[in-house]
Amino acid sequence: MSKIFHGPDRVPIPPRDAEQFTTVCSYCIVGCGYRVYKWPEGKEGGPKPAHNALQVDFTRQQGAQTGTWISPAMHSVVTDRDGTRSHVVLLPDADCVVNRGNHSIRGGTHGSVLYAPDRPTADRLSHPLMYRGSTQLPTTWQEAIDLSAHVIKAALDKWGPDTVAMKCFDHGGGGGGFENNWAVGKFFFTGIGTQMASIHNRPAYNSEVFAAGDAGIAALPSAYLDAELADTIVLIGANSYETQSIYFLEHMLPNLTGASLVKKQQLLPEEPHAAGRMIIVDPRRTSTVAIAESAAGTANVLHLQIRNGTDIVLMNALSRLIYEQGWQDQAFIDGRTKNFDAITTTNLAQDLEEATKLTGISNAQMMQAAEWIAKPKASNIRRRTLLLYEKGLIWGLKNYENVASVVDLALLTGNLGKAGTGCGRLGGHQEGYSRPNYPGKRPPVNVDEVAIKGGASKVFWVAGCNPVGGTLNAQQFRITLEKRTALVNQALDETAGGTMERRVAAILDAMEQGGLFLLVQDIYPIDTAKYAHVVFPAAQWGEMNLTSINGERRLRLYQKFMDPPGVAEPDWKIMAMMAQRIEHLYRAEGNRDMAVRFSGFDWQTDEEVFRAAAVGVAGAQEDYGETTYAMLKAIGTNGVQTPIKKIEDGKPIGTVRLYEESGRFTFIPAKWPGYPEPISKLMNDERYPFWVNNGRANHGWQTLYDDQRKPYVMGREPLPFVEIHPEDASKLELANGDLVELFNPHGSVTAMAVIVDSNRPGHVFMLFEHPKGWLNSLTTGYVDPDTTIPYYKGTKAGIRKIGALPEWQERLTFIPTNQA
Amino acid sequence: MSDISRRSFLKFGACVAGGLCASEALGEAAAPRETAARPALTTVLPYPRLKLAHATQLKTGVELRLTYPDKESPISLLKLGKKAINGIGPDADIVAYSRLCSHMGGSLNFRPSAGEFQCPLHYARFDAAKSGLIIIGQATDNLPQIQLHMDRKGDIYAVGILGLVYGRRANILG
Repeated sequence: MSKIFHGPDRVPIPPRDAEQFTTVCSYCIVGCGYRVYKWPEGKEGGPKPAHNALQVDFTRQQGAQTGTWISPAMHSVVTDRDGTRSHVVLLPDADCVVNRGNHSIRGGTHGSVLYAPDRPTADRLSHPLMYRGSTQLPTTWQEAIDLSAHVIKAALDKWGPDTVAMKCFDHGGGGGGFENNWAVGKFFFTGIGTQMASIHNRPAYNSEVFAAGDAGIAALPSAYLDAELADTIVLIGANSYETQSIYFLEHMLPNLTGASLVKKQQLLPEEPHAAGRMIIVDPRRTSTVAIAESAAGTANVLHLQIRNGTDIVLMNALSRLIYEQGWQDQAFIDGRTKNFDAITTTNLAQDLEEATKLTGISNAQMMQAAEWIAKPKASNIRRRTLLLYEKGLIWGLKNYENVASVVDLALLTGNLGKAGTGCGRLGGHQEGYSRPNYPGKRPPVNVDEVAIKGGASKVFWVAGCNPVGGTLNAQQFRITLEKRTALVNQALDETAGGTMERRVAAILDAMEQGGLFLLVQDIYPIDTAKYAHVVFPAAQWGEMNLTSINGERRLRLYQKFMDPPGVAEPDWKIMAMMAQRIEHLYRAEGNRDMAVRFSGFDWQTDEEVFRAAAVGVAGAQEDYGETTYAMLKAIGTNGVQTPIKKIEDGKPIGTVRLYEESGRFTFIPAKWPGYPEPISKLMNDERYPFWVNNGRANHGWQTLYDDQRKPYVMGREPLPFVEIHPEDASKLELANGDLVELFNPHGSVTAMAVIVDSNRPGHVFMLFEHPKGWLNSLTTGYVDPDTTIPYYKGTKAGIRKIGALPEWQERLTFIPTNQA
Repeated sequence: MSDISRRSFLKFGACVAGGLCASEALGEAAAPRETAARPALTTVLPYPRLKLAHATQLKTGVELRLTYPDKESPISLLKLGKKAINGIGPDADIVAYSRLCSHMGGSLNFRPSAGEFQCPLHYARFDAAKSGLIIIGQATDNLPQIQLHMDRKGDIYAVGILGLVYGRRANILG
């Protein structure tokens, strides 16, 4: 067959009587709505409208954008636990206001990742595994839970709660939802009571936007509608065409092309309108920049190609320019904010010459940005500016001040709580956070450093994330895991066949020597699971009912439409099994106080957990109050935007955007602190001349945990890429597709060179998570001391050519992605 | 036609897109018929064997806009001027693709300078030299490639399609 992947040349269509469900994409924050059709294998809908569930005439060619075309990647044949085989089709929902039938490459290929024993997803974890005889072998839930419960209890009794560390998902969508998050939180915070907790993509238990929270602004205050109504959209550290694709295509682009002008005039009739403008702050010329320019014309798009780590300087310079022109929203500042004086000597005192020198952005460009953000429209009407930021800012030089400097700019210009305005995250994954309070302090403890590398914890439970590649300074993390888990392997080997008492005693002895007992809970045998003593198979999206919100707080029910593989269970149930076993052990020894801490896990259904989790979101942006599954089922993929204000005739009434009526906000002074020591050390070492920026790319999701089972995606990206400027490539004598090694004192990694002038010379951009080359082997251990959020986006490295891989070079494309 | 290119035709002429070089196709190519036995494809769909053009009608970088397998399925036939995956002809540079974007059916534009197809709807782009490999975009498959066959006279036939054309449940309607 062809060297390039092509799917089949036909796809089965659902018959009239196919079962139907609604769900939402399992991946990114945007949360596109999907319809699910399921029907028995061996049956197929007919091509005439009356003979298929879509009521489409498949004897004819369909026109563009009908939203009724099923691509082969949207289809699979699944096998449920009773052996029944069924076709499943996941079709983007044309009636969902988020995506209007549109889909990304990621969500549109969901058919490829449904569990099927005869497809690439056959390697899903189907049974618990346990370390035995130098390998991992399948075992029963009973054995896996029993040994783990004994070990956790023994460590807890001997050394206290902080001896148990966790790194867990806190997602909405595929990785979690309110149900699973609540169970995880209840187990670790109410049950164990550990401070050694960390969230999937970072070394601590923290908000990524503490500064916004301190200012009084929730992470997701605006609606996608606001992107259609704004005069100016500002994207800071985000490549939205590739990472919030459908938000960008369905809600931002129509504004840039003028397609949303009618809506602007309808909803905001009192003021002049024009097609929207876009400012993009990014050290890299991305596909988003190119597409925005193509849609809006270069005169309406401003790309501020900022130098790595200088966001605070740029934001402060913009605030100063706006304030000097008198373009601030004085009524907003006076009526709805406090602490303005504190920024007059910091943000507003930013030296403009120094700003140009540090950021690499000219004064003229800064002035243009200031005008687009805040210069009043005709009749002295304020511009409506929507400020959206993501990981380029959040994971930048200093998390707290980075976010604060943007929040201050929004407050200065009054861009909050009004149509077409806002200041919030674009988001990565969806949200579904509800947990009892974290028992630690702020700033939270750095779990990687203290618990794992530092040895403070002796049990480590990893769920729904892959820290051996995803955490900062990952090579050192892997080395530690390997050493510490090997000591427990030895204890298990030496006590094979022994009593539980003897085995636990041996494990505790190993822990005294620095041993670490590792539990991994996931849907796939991920890299981190290689080191595990116990592996728990989890259910994924579609295999349980779950609820989550998207980037505009849209709450929906993601219906279960198939069974998990083997004996895999939803995460909440795994947490419950463990809690109940530990509770039993404490009751057996008469320790009532400890038993009570692990009680209350006797939920029978997904919805019982959803209702239990409502207490954890009370008063928050995701407050869903008395909402039930039946109410959510009735409102399908459009759902309702939280917070829920009331339930009216069985229908939850929500909130389109936050702070329209209330909210008082606080300015937070932000000063550029300069580069931290671990980075400046690399900056002063000529062996590491390249700045290494990194991020996601369009065709894959996060660690590529699902994408590795999509031959289409892996055909595009068998190895991580690194974008290198032609000037640097010529010095290194590189051709497109050459394999290079990036190295620094923290680690090394290989990547495939893509020669493109998207970054300044001396700056490279690498894909941030790929199992065949973890970028994080190069990141330093540096975190913002005020928030414990890493500076993932900034490290330096040397680059060495390894050689060519002709077979892959032939099969890959090197036409630059950042064109339109 | 020079002797050199004549020999090249003999060498490449029996290869269909998809990398299959069926030896029996040589005899078949010598006596072209509209309903000749199809080369060994993975499909059982009744793909028609349709003559698209003669090699001399192709100019490097200029697309011929045609249809296959029926009038409702626009395709682009191209001589790229550089070797292409599944390309046919003496320079292995003749290829054809569906012109309907495999994302949502937008009409693709061919850009000779980059050798790519671009969709004006949502900016998907496909590499014309790499069997329609996605460069970037929201499509859920690479661009469907038309399988071609050139006979010894230089006539180019479409004989099948790799991948599902947008807007259909099967490439052959009905």
